[in-house]
Amino acid sequence: MCRTGQQPDPHDPYDPHDPHDTGDDKAADAAFAALLEDSAEELYENAPCGYLSTLMDGTIAKINATLLGWLDMEREAVVGRMRFTDLLTVGGKLYHETHFAPLLRMQGEISGIALEIKRTDGDRIPVLVSSVVKRGGDGEPLLIRTTVFDARDRRAYEEELLRGRRAAEAARGQAEADRARLQDALAVLQQSLLPDTLPSIPGVETATHYHTASPDRLGGDFYDVFPLDGRRFAFFLGDVCGKGPKAAALTSLTRYTLRAAALHDPDPVAALTTLNKVLHERYAGSGDPRYCTAVFGTLDPDPATGQLTVHLASGGHPPVIVLRADGTACFLPTPGGQLVGVLPSARFTPATTVLAPGDTLLLYTDGLTEARTGPDRTSLYGDEALLAFTAGHGGKPPHALIKALTGLLDSFGDGLDDDTALLALGIPAADHPMRNTR
Amino acid sequence: MDIARRNNVAVTGNPHGRTVVLAHGFGCDQNMWRLTVPALAEDYRVVLFDYVGSGRSDLSAFSENRYGSLHGYARDVVEVCEALDLRDAVFVGHSVSAMIGVLAAEAAPERIGALVMVAPSPRYIDDDGYRGGFSAQDIDELLASLESNYLGWSAVMAPVIMGNPDRPDLGEELKNSFCATDPDMARVFARTTFLSDSRADLKSVRVPTLVLECSEDAIAPREVGAFVHRAVPGSTLVTLRATGHCPHLSAPEATNEAIRGFLAGLR
Amino acid sequence: MSPLKITTRDAPTGPVLEIFGELDYANAGELRERIAALTLQPGQRLVLDLGGMQFCDSSGITALIAARSHVQAARADIALAAVPANTLRILRIVGLDQIFALHPDSDTAIRS
Repeated sequence: MCRTGQQPDPHDPYDPHDPHDTGDDKAADAAFAALLEDSAEELYENAPCGYLSTLMDGTIAKINATLLGWLDMEREAVVGRMRFTDLLTVGGKLYHETHFAPLLRMQGEISGIALEIKRTDGDRIPVLVSSVVKRGGDGEPLLIRTTVFDARDRRAYEEELLRGRRAAEAARGQAEADRARLQDALAVLQQSLLPDTLPSIPGVETATHYHTASPDRLGGDFYDVFPLDGRRFAFFLGDVCGKGPKAAALTSLTRYTLRAAALHDPDPVAALTTLNKVLHERYAGSGDPRYCTAVFGTLDPDPATGQLTVHLASGGHPPVIVLRADGTACFLPTPGGQLVGVLPSARFTPATTVLAPGDTLLLYTDGLTEARTGPDRTSLYGDEALLAFTAGHGGKPPHALIKALTGLLDSFGDGLDDDTALLALGIPAADHPMRNTR
Repeated sequence: MDIARRNNVAVTGNPHGRTVVLAHGFGCDQNMWRLTVPALAEDYRVVLFDYVGSGRSDLSAFSENRYGSLHGYARDVVEVCEALDLRDAVFVGHSVSAMIGVLAAEAAPERIGALVMVAPSPRYIDDDGYRGGFSAQDIDELLASLESNYLGWSAVMAPVIMGNPDRPDLGEELKNSFCATDPDMARVFARTTFLSDSRADLKSVRVPTLVLECSEDAIAPREVGAFVHRAVPGSTLVTLRATGHCPHLSAPEATNEAIRGFLAGLR
Repeated sequence: MSPLKITTRDAPTGPVLEIFGELDYANAGELRERIAALTLQPGQRLVLDLGGMQFCDSSGITALIAARSHVQAARADIALAAVPANTLRILRIVGLDQIFALHPDSDTAIRS
């Protein structure tokens, strides 16, 4: 590009020194050339990055003004007197000796290493360092050329990123811990709503199943079986409205109220009436009506006959099914029973039946009968289908019936979107060994 | 367990010669010995390996508990020796590996018959009356350096780091790969290395030992080389005219000559 | 899933709400809010026309009970019109057919 001292060729029409050129063009060209001529040394000294050349042992042989300015050092104090590592922090020196120098030796170049240089005043400047080894004609390494970029902004950004990542990780850890704690609490609470084990009743087999629709939402179905006195036992099964903590509180209140009421007066209508009073007083006028439906009953075994007399009452709950040993199944009607907790004086409908060996009483919540079936999940499973299904298991003991019903629930897949509780009480036929299952 | 694979073991050189095990120090991996191997291969059987957590070792075998102590790294050495059924081998350890070799020789005396300590240091941190060259804060700075350089390499991937805590496996693409180990494992190795104190172990060395120090080592000053020489019974000290902490890279001829001389003098 | 839609009109006897779509856990709250916002005069009658309701679960039943409480607090009256067969079946099971006035359509509910 630089044409100083060169004779212009008069025949070259593109020659900028052509005598036909205007004087202005010549002046501009000369200024441009002067700029360029000035640039090599100027660029080295005042480039927007630091330049450094060292001997192979690291002794600094050449350094530009930019880097000296960053270091706040005089050239005489550096050149021939300091090594590159003298410019680094101690940690950087360690990193240089263990990573940077070996890599540079092995690769002949290294780029983009983050280090810190120390100013005379002790301040530090984060930099990015790249080096190449310059070799002689015989391949012998002669010196190391190094560029140093100011990385203050970039390092600040990286530290911001790191801080952000640590904060995000901490937040995620906290959220996971919170979630695990909540799950634990929910599981414990859920367990407190259902009995751990059912008491063994002479001559009677009990079997239960509880299907939870969502592990995150406490369910609202409940059941229990417990002794009343030396002879009789009580049972109940029901469904509180809603889900979640408030429903769980209602379930808890319902369960313990029924247990206490039954010890006071085991008559089924009386027990439900007590429950109704308690719930109504607690929730009426709160603007948030809460109620439950329930079947409450007592079992009175007669060792002489091997039969079991069942007295029960229903408060707005679907009728229980009586499955006879011969395979006939029917609802035990409790028409007109009203849900518990809404009305100041609700009506509860009593019913009585006697179970003989091979007979089973089935209590269920409407998660079962309201399960959506059919290819497009638009029909409901329904009472009649349940009755027919149950009839198909006549004569089998309660645990076999519950097992079959559990399989039925599983077959509903996502059509079963509500909690479902099942309780079967029966007298196993003589040819079936008795067992109690949950 | 396949130790050869776990520690990326490579065996080369003269199969009939005495076995020389070359052990890298903190920082890089067995590539550090690339200028040493050719000088030994003709007469000696040469074993190279990477400590678990370094180079191309099986990173899944890493445990902070085991490698939080130099004894964990010494177990790597002993297990490599056992896997190859080495007897009376010469162990050449660079930097912290020299101390690892001391521990390994003590644990398996029949396996290791001589030691070469390249730029060793039994204690990096200054102590009452002892000059190791560093303070505890210096080591924290090094850890910060490790961290920022890991991030530096992947800064272009910053959005990925933020979005995905799993580290992108850049090992193959990065030019600096053989010094670019997992930063968490490098941090453990750095702590174990620079916070260790092996001074008391030196006097138990019972095998012929060569101590190689550099005339100007930024990590292990001359006092440290003298200390090691004094502490290891019957050791030989050779001071190489070399700058830096890796004489096998910066002054390979002199280093190789010293090692070969020592090997030739062994019975 | 059809979303819940509620329209309101004023009859001489009081407001008539027509309910379309599904009254379930997800949107029964909307009906409860609408009814809670209603101002009823003593003696007025709130008519809920359920002719367009496609589904009603226990949350829907709770909303009906809440409506009844709200109306009673205002000393007003509530009637259900055009209750779909399945909902009527549920109302019978829980005994609510005894406490709600049920009418075949909203016109009858207004007149009677």
